[in-house]
Amino acid sequence: MLTILAINVILSIGGSLVILNVVPKFRDMFVKAHLSGVDLNKINKPEIPEAAGVISSCIFLIVMFMFIPFPFSQHFFNKQWGFPHQEFVQFIAALLSICCMVLLGFADDVLNLKWRHKLLLPTVASLPLLMVYYTNFNSTTIIIPKPLRFLLGHDLDLSALYYIYMGMLAVFCTNAINIYAGVNGLEVGQSAVIAGSLILFNVIELNGDCWSTHLFSLYFMIPFFFTSLSLYQFNKYPARVFVGDTFCYFSGMTVAVVAIFGHFSKTALLFFIPQTANFVFSLAQLFQLFPCLRHRLPRVNKKTGYLDPSVFKFKDKSLSTLGRLVLKTYQLLGLVEVEQAEKDGESFQSTYCTLINFSLQNKNYGRISRLTTLWPPRLPKNLPEAT
Amino acid sequence: MWTILAVNVILSIGGSCAILNVVPKFRDMFIKAHLSGVDLNKKNRPEIPEATGVISSCIFLIVMFIFIPFPFSKHFFNKEWGFPHQEFVQFIAALLSICCMVLLGFADDVLNLKWRHKLLLPTVASLPLLMVYYTNFNSTTIIIPKPLRILLGHDMDLSALYYVYMGMLAVFCTNAINIYAGVNGLEVGQSAVIAGSLILFNVIELNGDCWSNHLFSLYFMIPFFFTSLSLYQYNKYPARVFVGDTFCYFSGMTVAVVAILGHFSKTALLFFIPQIANFVFSLPQLFHLLPCPRHRLPRLNEKTGYLDPSVFQFKEKSLSTLGHLVLKIYQLLGLVKVEHAEKDGHLSQSTNCTLINLALKLMGPKHEKTLAAGLIVLQVMCSGLAFIIRYPLASLFYDC
Repeated sequence: MLTILAINVILSIGGSLVILNVVPKFRDMFVKAHLSGVDLNKINKPEIPEAAGVISSCIFLIVMFMFIPFPFSQHFFNKQWGFPHQEFVQFIAALLSICCMVLLGFADDVLNLKWRHKLLLPTVASLPLLMVYYTNFNSTTIIIPKPLRFLLGHDLDLSALYYIYMGMLAVFCTNAINIYAGVNGLEVGQSAVIAGSLILFNVIELNGDCWSTHLFSLYFMIPFFFTSLSLYQFNKYPARVFVGDTFCYFSGMTVAVVAIFGHFSKTALLFFIPQTANFVFSLAQLFQLFPCLRHRLPRVNKKTGYLDPSVFKFKDKSLSTLGRLVLKTYQLLGLVEVEQAEKDGESFQSTYCTLINFSLQNKNYGRISRLTTLWPPRLPKNLPEAT
Repeated sequence: MWTILAVNVILSIGGSCAILNVVPKFRDMFIKAHLSGVDLNKKNRPEIPEATGVISSCIFLIVMFIFIPFPFSKHFFNKEWGFPHQEFVQFIAALLSICCMVLLGFADDVLNLKWRHKLLLPTVASLPLLMVYYTNFNSTTIIIPKPLRILLGHDMDLSALYYVYMGMLAVFCTNAINIYAGVNGLEVGQSAVIAGSLILFNVIELNGDCWSNHLFSLYFMIPFFFTSLSLYQYNKYPARVFVGDTFCYFSGMTVAVVAILGHFSKTALLFFIPQIANFVFSLPQLFHLLPCPRHRLPRLNEKTGYLDPSVFQFKEKSLSTLGHLVLKIYQLLGLVKVEHAEKDGHLSQSTNCTLINLALKLMGPKHEKTLAAGLIVLQVMCSGLAFIIRYPLASLFYDC
């Protein structure tokens, strides 16, 4: 077992070195193909190759292809237990889902597909996973947590709902990473930390009962970790490449794949606490309760050179009742800062509802409480009612 | 078995309708993404979306994903023989190779990779296939054809060479289709004919000994055939979309995959007779013995509206001895039309060494639509010839 893991590590390091070598060489090719983006937070707004995630994804796939014989070759597996057929087909199916996700993700970066497609693509790419799961196990029973057992019993067969859960896991992981972005190196950095944490978790669990599923997960997480580290060298501040939606899709799908086949999706989601927090915080804007512009990343303050939180403007009248309620709640909790935008008493601005902007805010609670009296606007008592 | 095939046909027709529906909607998206090409052989040189092969490939993959449970679900397979593990992993590995090929092919169309990459990409994409083959069978023994048995014995173990052969098959199929192109509808049309011929071959062999291999091949060829037919509706003359290298890669890899896993690669190559002829004919230009322009497709004669063969120009002195020799042989065989420069320093010219130009040379200038139709008919006739070689003549070479 350790020999196979050693080979996996060696191949991963090899892939990692190839990425370090190859990414600069593709720079011009990407820019010529119009795959580039402007770094909005640099003073000179340079144009930087986009979708470089496709390079690290392809090298990850090549590393995995070369690794295929090792866990399953007759020289290595335990002959007493017979050939591990189910693991073999799961392995190949996992690679198929990841490969399909990279293809669809790259097509998204190139063609700029619409938002509703961003929910559809991971679902399509997770089909092989679901189909193989159905054909192999078809185990859709979950164990109920102890506190709820007197209500629901020891276990519950979710049947079709379990497949929906698995499909949604892929959609969630990919998009949660995608929206928690906007600062150089954040997408790759967060993925590397999640991968590293999962590796640690898997190694600990190798001594447990389900060691084979954790070993399976390590086979994917180790190359993913090393290839992400290499890409991080180019994406960290100051970024020389952007990774594009391709990387976010690839990253989310790889984690979803090992979480599903390893049967540890709940633990995997624990490593997504910042992403989940950012997602919940953003829900109001994602569902258009407040105005939501294309980019919500922080803005560079040209005088100080520092990043300020970005803001969206709104008119008090244009918010729905629910929108107003949610914004007020956020304001009271100190999650957003609302200020008057113009002196007409109607236009206001609020910081965007992302974790990144929240961390940039000035946490001056005294000032916030003064501001909360400015919005929503109240009519002075001695003026006649507006007609 | 018939139920599963029926399900496959129904899903394929569904995918086919989806393509007919969806391709026009992507038109603008492709052009905005700078994925477009100029149709050089139309008078107004319209700009047409390129690389739409990625749409039909993705729909093919979706159809195959949805189909996965059917051949392998416990409701369908023969319980007496136990679960078909090897076929299951081969099925998924085949899809992985095809998916990887579409990804690399689309990256090639977007990034315009160099020619040496066109040989590398299919090799990389065929890795899953080779690795699974190694892990599953590792059978690298071939049966020697009867006439050579006195020299080499009944069979021979090629070991590593067999893997090289399998890798090369993928490289060959993809690039052979890619260079036999340039007329509206030719890439998709030739692929559809090859797929149709393979389907016929597989159906015939369903009654034979290796019926499970041929059933496996049908699972792939049927969706491939139907999706290609739909794409053909948009790519035939006058083309509304171009399919791009993506389609050629996808097409070549799908055929290579079924040929390798079905163990009928020699028969599959028989259906590639026009592609092989075109490839051999083109070799001197591909190896730069003779000058090779970027595009070797026929040229539109603006006065007549017909296509003429395209030419390459050269100085007599700049050709190597071997180049001169090859050109002379081609000229004697009537394969090219050479016009020598009358004076020193002037350029000579010769028609390009492709099957399409040869067809125009033999038949005279033709309208693009007629040429395209004629080449498809040629493909069908060569498939017929392939069947004749395979069946009556095969027993001369092998015991079957």
